[in-house]
Amino acid sequence: MIAKVNHIADTKKLLGAMPTIRFVHPEYVYLAMTNARCNKAELFIKEGDHVNMCQVIGIRHAAFFDQPIHATVSGTFVGLEKHYHRNGKLTDFIKIKNDFLETLDSSCTTRSDEEIKKLSKDEMTQIIKDAALVGLGGSSFPTYVKFQTNVPIHTILINAIECEPYITTDHRIMMEYPQRIINGIHYAMQAFGVKKAYICIKSKYKDLKYVYNQLLKQYPEIELKCVGNFYPQGWEIAMVEKALKIKMQPGELPSKYGVMNFNVSTVVGIYKAIKYNQPVTSRNISVTGDAIKFPQNFRVKVGTSVKELINLCGGYKDDGNKVFILGGPMMGAALPSDDCIITKTVTSVIVLKETKEKEEPCVRCGSCVLSCPTGLQPVLIMNAVKTLDRERIKALNPLRCIECGLCAYACTSKIQVTDFIRKAKVIAKL
Amino acid sequence: MIFVKENAPHLRRNAGVARLMLDVVIALLPTLVFSFCVYQLATLYTLLISLATMLLAEFIYVGLKNMMKWDGQKHSFKERFIYAYKNYSINNITAPLVSSIIYTLIMPPSAPYYAVFVGALVGIAFGKLVFGGLGSNIFNPAAVGMVFSKICFGSSFSTLENTWYYSTPIISGGTGGDVSVGGTALTNIANGIEHIYDYSLLDMFLGKMPGTLGEAFTITILIGAIYLIIRRSADFRIMLSYLVTFVAMMAVAGLCIHSLYKDIDVGYFLGFQLLSGGLFFGAVFMLTDPVTSPTNRPGRIIFGMIAGVVTVFIRLFGALPEGVAFSILIANMFVPVIEHYKWSSNFYTWKKILCMAIIFIIPTIIMILAVLYGGVIVHG
Repeated sequence: MIAKVNHIADTKKLLGAMPTIRFVHPEYVYLAMTNARCNKAELFIKEGDHVNMCQVIGIRHAAFFDQPIHATVSGTFVGLEKHYHRNGKLTDFIKIKNDFLETLDSSCTTRSDEEIKKLSKDEMTQIIKDAALVGLGGSSFPTYVKFQTNVPIHTILINAIECEPYITTDHRIMMEYPQRIINGIHYAMQAFGVKKAYICIKSKYKDLKYVYNQLLKQYPEIELKCVGNFYPQGWEIAMVEKALKIKMQPGELPSKYGVMNFNVSTVVGIYKAIKYNQPVTSRNISVTGDAIKFPQNFRVKVGTSVKELINLCGGYKDDGNKVFILGGPMMGAALPSDDCIITKTVTSVIVLKETKEKEEPCVRCGSCVLSCPTGLQPVLIMNAVKTLDRERIKALNPLRCIECGLCAYACTSKIQVTDFIRKAKVIAKL
Repeated sequence: MIFVKENAPHLRRNAGVARLMLDVVIALLPTLVFSFCVYQLATLYTLLISLATMLLAEFIYVGLKNMMKWDGQKHSFKERFIYAYKNYSINNITAPLVSSIIYTLIMPPSAPYYAVFVGALVGIAFGKLVFGGLGSNIFNPAAVGMVFSKICFGSSFSTLENTWYYSTPIISGGTGGDVSVGGTALTNIANGIEHIYDYSLLDMFLGKMPGTLGEAFTITILIGAIYLIIRRSADFRIMLSYLVTFVAMMAVAGLCIHSLYKDIDVGYFLGFQLLSGGLFFGAVFMLTDPVTSPTNRPGRIIFGMIAGVVTVFIRLFGALPEGVAFSILIANMFVPVIEHYKWSSNFYTWKKILCMAIIFIIPTIIMILAVLYGGVIVHG
């Protein structure tokens, strides 16, 4: 009721304990030509060409960086097809027929530990740039930009909090690939010349605590930090504040305080890029939600069709209307069709039954104000948007909003408050 | 099967306005039942009249608001009725229910039928419906109704009678020394500070004194308060800041009065002021009404403090014996100011703390001067 809400009904117990199913041999893979950050692309191959795994087959252009497109399987380039991208737009996808041979491209060379020891920061940055590594927690921010920073860094934080409900990909990665994570952290520490790294997990994950307390005894420079169980603990400002007791202001980068943070999947990506010179070709994904028959964790090739995964889960529970979400249920976008493709940054596929919530008049209970992690006043912003008062909207500073969705989640009257804040952000930017 | 297009977040908390209202009703029930045990018919007819009035007013209002517009075609009355009331929800019943129960419990037991009816009508119509119904009102409807009824018909409220639960003490009042039945604890003290000892503190705590239909039963009110706080259906900050401000200012006032009249004990004065009127009822059920209170944390504390200061001033210096309902209405008026976009925020900044300090200190200084040199309180 009138309360600070930051705990969302826990729906992870089911999946957290389930092993990951490897599904790395799809018949076709689809690679996006464009994405939210890059809106132009070039192709280097023609129809019918044979491509090797990890071969650069094209390049995406963005405002300030280029991103090579890597084939994630070996096979034949069939053509372009339109599918839904994670951002909800119909996008051209490069369709590659898998030949199930996994012939690696000649550029993929394994580096020995001595070679890696000699790598400088700039060389690592170049390797990561060539591997087109982006933040795999969902932000898709290019990782090499983080590596380019000149600010002295003293701590590396690994974000394995995964505060959104339903998703368990990071949990499973932590359980299944601890050696890759630790090596990846070591590479990042070497690049930044950092002596200390922390892995942040939710304090309620007893299994992870058990595993990593044993494991990290050999690596005193890496420490496990158990942080809060609330949402949005995974937001970098909340994480840095809880783990290191540094109070950041919204809009500031953690590097200002000498802190660098990576998602745990990104760290695995760093390991693969530096050790094997490979881009991200496969990733962990949770297919879950209350409308899926048998929710599962998967290890899939980037570019797998979501329809195949849903069929592997036994399909949908019933014929009622569904909400189809790529990403977390609090921040992810609902797609108008299940004809979409797993890209690098998709963490989960969540299918929920449609719940028709009736909006009631706002009773000004203030739950949204109490819950807002950035200290905004969503109810006042909503009223300002309703009256289209620009001065008032600007004074209430909606640009601080991180769209975590807690205001709408907490609303007693079931009003879509977050929508109003999004409108306010648009108006405030005018 | 359709994939619905909706914006994030896709999950919603299990809470609702109806549940919020129901919690307040549940919290009010012990007091209502106790009131019914003590005053019997008076509670029953006040509740029934006010409930019927408020429900009917809300019903007519919704009908008028959603009336079908003239579109050139003939519609039967049934069609028009269904059109107008298709959005009639549980909130149109629970909200007047809460208002009418609160209104009942703050009305005197001796109020005549017509006074109850007019008060309820004005309360719901001018306290709530003219602003646009649930969520839009700036004043507490129950307080508006009660204040209106008391101002218009106060003189026609008959004198207090004894009930099985308590008997009013016979006191000598007036200049002629004629014997008359005493009023409430606070009207007695207005006749002279020595009347402070008319009721013992235990009797006042148990509600063994005349008062409105529900305000005197401190125990049941506190049970309701605990329920509301556990269910988080009311904000404890408002209750706490209101009561703390009131106690602190009254303690200062008690010290000043003690320096003037040595036979008045400060602790007793404080207990008397806390228990003698509708302080707890107002703090728990009326001030915390979310619609008429600010939405952020410091704002809620400032809101409670304003109400506390106003209550103290009306109690000590006002012509009226009781000031809780008025203080709530006056504090309601401050809500748009507290929530003005230029300074409203959810953080305790030093400016907010300074503001709280000013709200407390300046009225306290004025009060001390008025008590010591004004000589306003003591009539006897």
